[in-house]
Amino acid sequence: MEKEAIIRFERVTKEYDGLVVLDDVSFEIERGKFYTLLGPSGCGKTTILRLIAGFTEPTKGTIYFHGKPVNHVPANKRQVNTVFQDYALFPHLNVFENVAFGLRVKKKKRLEIEEKVKQALRFVNLEGYENRSIQEMSGGQRQRVAIARAIVNEPEVLLLDEPLSALDLKLRTEMQYELRELQRRLGITFIFVTHDQEEALAMSDQIFVLNKGKIQQSGTPKEIYDEPVNRFVADFIGESNILRGTMIEDYLVEFAGKRFTCVDKGFRPNEPVDVVIRPEDLEITTRDQGKLQVRVDSQLFRGVHYELCCYDEDGNEWLVHSTKKAEVGEEIGLYFDPEDIHVMRISEDDGEGSDEK
Amino acid sequence: MRGNKKWANAYLVFVFLILYTPIIYLIYYSFNSGGTMHDFEGFTLEWYKEVIGDTRLWIIVLNTLTIALLAAAISTILGVMGALAIYYVKKRQMKQLLLTLNNVLIVSPDVIIGASFLILFTIIGIQLGFTSVLLSHIAFSVPIVVLMVLPKLQEMSPTLIDAARDLGANQWDVLTKVILPFITPGIFAGFFMALTYSLDDFAVTFFVTGNGFSTLSVEIYSRARQGISLSINALSTLLFLFTVVLVIGYYFISQKSSTLYGMRGRRK
Ligand SMILES: Nc1ncnc2c1ncn2[C@@H]1O[C@H](COP(=O)(O)OP(=O)(O)OP(=O)(O)O)[C@@H](O)[C@H]1O
Ligand SMILES: [Mg+2]
Repeated sequence: MEKEAIIRFERVTKEYDGLVVLDDVSFEIERGKFYTLLGPSGCGKTTILRLIAGFTEPTKGTIYFHGKPVNHVPANKRQVNTVFQDYALFPHLNVFENVAFGLRVKKKKRLEIEEKVKQALRFVNLEGYENRSIQEMSGGQRQRVAIARAIVNEPEVLLLDEPLSALDLKLRTEMQYELRELQRRLGITFIFVTHDQEEALAMSDQIFVLNKGKIQQSGTPKEIYDEPVNRFVADFIGESNILRGTMIEDYLVEFAGKRFTCVDKGFRPNEPVDVVIRPEDLEITTRDQGKLQVRVDSQLFRGVHYELCCYDEDGNEWLVHSTKKAEVGEEIGLYFDPEDIHVMRISEDDGEGSDEK
Repeated sequence: MRGNKKWANAYLVFVFLILYTPIIYLIYYSFNSGGTMHDFEGFTLEWYKEVIGDTRLWIIVLNTLTIALLAAAISTILGVMGALAIYYVKKRQMKQLLLTLNNVLIVSPDVIIGASFLILFTIIGIQLGFTSVLLSHIAFSVPIVVLMVLPKLQEMSPTLIDAARDLGANQWDVLTKVILPFITPGIFAGFFMALTYSLDDFAVTFFVTGNGFSTLSVEIYSRARQGISLSINALSTLLFLFTVVLVIGYYFISQKSSTLYGMRGRRK
């Protein structure tokens, strides 16, 4: 019962006029977790939400709710609710009536409606705003109305399509906490869409990284950050140094013209690979003590750390986050542990976007 | 820049003067006791009395209003349905085609519309009179309503409909609880447009009225042809005032609906 999948996508493909937007996607959504769909613009995040909500039907494949196929079940018969990217609040109704809409069309009793709407508004901290018109609400408040309007129907799954993208940075961070908190209190499943990797890492139990209609990787934020499966994910999640290398044998990898011990294994001998080292895993030392020798090209103070851009003799760029300061033009050494090296298999379809020349 | 603006204003005043002079001239002489439109002899309300005492005229006024209200109401319903149909058409070309057909009906000369209706009614055997006038008025009003309602529909974000569906609304709920309230201003505008078009239509009506049934514009025309009586001036003045009232009424209604849609100031 605990592990039961509420929603299951089985080899779902979606085409618009012959253009493949989702390509053979399969995944499961469990009860009570916070999921994030993360990916660049146009990768198909909204399309997945629309398929779950029932606004469109898959071209191929099957969507299951509690084990039953629902491909042809219309949106108004599904136990999910959506918070739209533009909120889609009804301009001719006030806050109370907006929230009450779902209950009204379900012909609930007047008293019940009143009570539930009040409760939903309390949940999103909007008590006392019942009679305001939508035009009198700020962006953040409108967003809460949209959330209240969705949760008042007690859905099993709440879909949120980039709900924070229209807010300024401060409000955004605030709402990230609130949303996470709300999800815990309600105990229902959230499927949250964003193209902001920090937001995804901060909020989710489980992240699906999407690119070009395919799920590149799914896992906890830590898994995705520490063990990206390919160049795209490594590049998209946080800043990273990615370069081509060769896996000489188990626990031995060659890149930047040198061999290093690492903790990865299971590759063919001499298999070409992508190697990732996160900027915060690189430590500055003297030239002789470093495993790599680089020249500092530029330095930015970022508050918590310095961001150094360095080049080695082969012209590879190295991004370093360091609490220590360096001099521009200085030759320094970079030190890292074997665990900081992450080796990835090269996948066929992520050839572009590479920054090495 | 400023000089330019002054000239623009002067030009505007000039144009309005030209447009309104005949009407003012006509109103002015409706109070003339002399009985002609060149020498103003003295002030009188005699012509107004004559108009008010004319029972035949009152029946015609009643006819005109009945036709206008009925035609406006029916064409508003049909026009809204038409606009919805065009809105829901998926194919781009089909949409464009329907819209063009609609617009052709609006710009085509009244004479042609009137004549073709006359031919149609005679062929299918509808008696010329109330029904024929009503039908033709509905016919030329529908495209106008469509034209007033469609922009409102297109202004509406399609996610509103998705949101309503998402919250459990069926097609009927979506229509009555989301779409219609949203396009209400357009519907009102369409209704009033249809009303004014029907009230002052002459050409089409002239073709399709039979004996014994007449509307005001046709009546005024035929009286004006019979010989000059200043009671026509009085009648026209009354009509003009009525139109002004309609316009003001429309202004207030649209004002009210725009406050409903967000011009209201923020309350603390
Ligand atoms: N109704 C539609 N008809 C045709 N193409 C569509 C339609 N909806 C989406 N697409 C296409 O599908 C692709 C994926 O769209 P989708 O809206 O899912 O992207 P997204 O990941 O949500 O992007 P964003 O972050 O910009 O919102 C895009 O290339 C888009 O042009
Ligand atoms: Mg989107």
